[in-house]
Amino acid sequence: MGLAAEKGKVAEILNSTRKEGRRELMELESKRVLAAWGVPVNRTELARDISEAVKFAREVRYPIVLKIASPDIIHKSEAKGVRVGLSSELEIRQSFGDLIDNARAYKPDAKILGVTIQEYLPPAREVIVGALQDPSFGATVMFGLGGVWVEVLDDISFRLAPLSAEDAREMIQEIKGYPVLAGIRGTPPADVGALVDIIQKVGQLAHEFSEIAEMDLNPIFTFDDGKGAMVADARIILVESK
Amino acid sequence: MSNEVKAIFEPKSVVLVGASDGIREGIVSPAFFHSLVHNMHRFEGKTYVVDLSGKLEGAIKNLNQVPKGRDLAVVVLPSKLVMKNWRNLLNLVMKAIVLVAGGFDQQQREELARGVAKRKVCILGPNATAGVINTSKGLCATLERGFMPSRGGIAVISQDSAVGMAILDWARFHGVGVGKFASTGDSVDVTEADLLEFLMHDEETKVICIYLQSVRDGRRFLGLIREAVKKKPVVVMKGGTAQDERDKIFAAYLKQVGAIRVDIVEELLGVADALAKQPPMPGDRVAVVTNADGAATLVADALSRKEFALAKLSDKVTKKITRKYQDINIVEWVDLGIGAKADRYKFVLEQVLSDHGVDGVVVMNELKLSFLEPEDVQAIAEVAEKSKDKPVVSVTMAVGAGVLVREAVKGKNIPVYDSPEKAVLALDALRSYWKTRTRVEKGV
Repeated sequence: MGLAAEKGKVAEILNSTRKEGRRELMELESKRVLAAWGVPVNRTELARDISEAVKFAREVRYPIVLKIASPDIIHKSEAKGVRVGLSSELEIRQSFGDLIDNARAYKPDAKILGVTIQEYLPPAREVIVGALQDPSFGATVMFGLGGVWVEVLDDISFRLAPLSAEDAREMIQEIKGYPVLAGIRGTPPADVGALVDIIQKVGQLAHEFSEIAEMDLNPIFTFDDGKGAMVADARIILVESK
Repeated sequence: MSNEVKAIFEPKSVVLVGASDGIREGIVSPAFFHSLVHNMHRFEGKTYVVDLSGKLEGAIKNLNQVPKGRDLAVVVLPSKLVMKNWRNLLNLVMKAIVLVAGGFDQQQREELARGVAKRKVCILGPNATAGVINTSKGLCATLERGFMPSRGGIAVISQDSAVGMAILDWARFHGVGVGKFASTGDSVDVTEADLLEFLMHDEETKVICIYLQSVRDGRRFLGLIREAVKKKPVVVMKGGTAQDERDKIFAAYLKQVGAIRVDIVEELLGVADALAKQPPMPGDRVAVVTNADGAATLVADALSRKEFALAKLSDKVTKKITRKYQDINIVEWVDLGIGAKADRYKFVLEQVLSDHGVDGVVVMNELKLSFLEPEDVQAIAEVAEKSKDKPVVSVTMAVGAGVLVREAVKGKNIPVYDSPEKAVLALDALRSYWKTRTRVEKGV
């Protein structure tokens, strides 16, 4: 796929979100944008009813992750809308109804599309890659380790987009928690090369589409060196329309 | 715009416009105007003094009496009088106008910008109170007396005038040479980015220092720094960080484009002085050469804080030194002994610099108030000036003695610091610039 085709595909998803009067892309939409741009995301399918859920679960293969799909619910965990590691049809049938009920209780007027069936990712080192538009400098990329590293310790690095591989590598190495990725006490190093690639792509995406106000790829599962990295959840927010 | 910006620093003719009567206070007061006229006495081009109030003896009384087509006008008039004479000023000047006073409202600013838009004239200011300096041309268009620094390879751009004057004063007091200086003020036309674009191509400028409070057109500014560092180092100091949540991001941008960031005026010029006088530092290994054994401990501490390593001299070099001077002690550093003279400093520094395990040198020169021999210090400078691939910086810790030492090496290419921390910060900047250059050469 050439760059023009990729751009067209991203623009299409952004436009359809706008047309519905929304600024926040759903997880599914955000992942489609990222996938179109060449960023690896875990397989994510929208199931509108139980039978679709069962069908996709078989396709994606157990165990799977189930998440509520609603344009009105951004914080899915808060709405008790996430189940991780389901491994049978029975569990899916039970969880489907539970998630819909939980969503209704959380936000009665929420428009609910169904649930997403997602590929379960084995435990890995979790990182966050984000992007924002600075009013004076433009597209800017952010990197940090997941969990307390970013939230409590404010251990984040930034660079202006677009960035070189060297820039991306530097921003990974510059955080205090870098030894976690480099490998400590016998743990093998994480696939930093895969992260460099994701960071560069997120930078390009934010640079090409200034209508993307914010991006948050959180978490990204980073596997051991040579085994890649994969986005497990993502959020894209558009700038306010003029 | 480069041709007009050039005229800000290199005008062939300058018109100084003020009104020495009627206004008693503030930037446009006669005292400042008279200082400006005084400061320009060394200008090598032609200077015209216009006093619109007609009080200043020997001055021209009317703008119409100045021959048209002058390069630069420096205008010390309140906003109202500037606007009243705006058309005449535009007719008079071909290239650049410096507006010293502030206090222009939005409508007036737009009128200023409109006035120059159609012509090839640029405006520095308004509120460019600290004016413009080019030491090699004797151009000193500032409002206070005695701020002209000595010549040198440092160029300074300051958004704020008072900070700019403080930088100039510090430079003059410490004998740090400044080639060019400009304050940008409110920037209705020329911005710090335009000046940066000019200075990066300016042969005389070896280092560019910028004091910022806000950044306009950030992307262009960063792009220009990225270009500039291919030719020369850029040192940035930013005010207003306490209120700025995004300062961490700005710091990352600067790092990305290869600028060196500092926090205070002293660091700005201290670091710039080393960058202007010494080569970039190709590694982390520092040899310390001292005449005061104990004091070198502080250098070692400061080096460790900036992640430098003490260089281990090779056996060959160690032997060469101790064969000639048996009493020289080489353990963590090279202790020359308190009475070390020029010959000793010179020989040891040359040997140390020839060692492949050394990337840079800090040389200490202590206890000089009672028995300073200028040639001892000059010997250090001589070796430092010859070193093309490894930097040498010098420390004399006592401030008073430091003044004597600096005086003795005035005009020589060795930076002298009054504390180990400042010397090490200078090496840190030289190392940082070496990394930037290496990156640029690799094209990443």
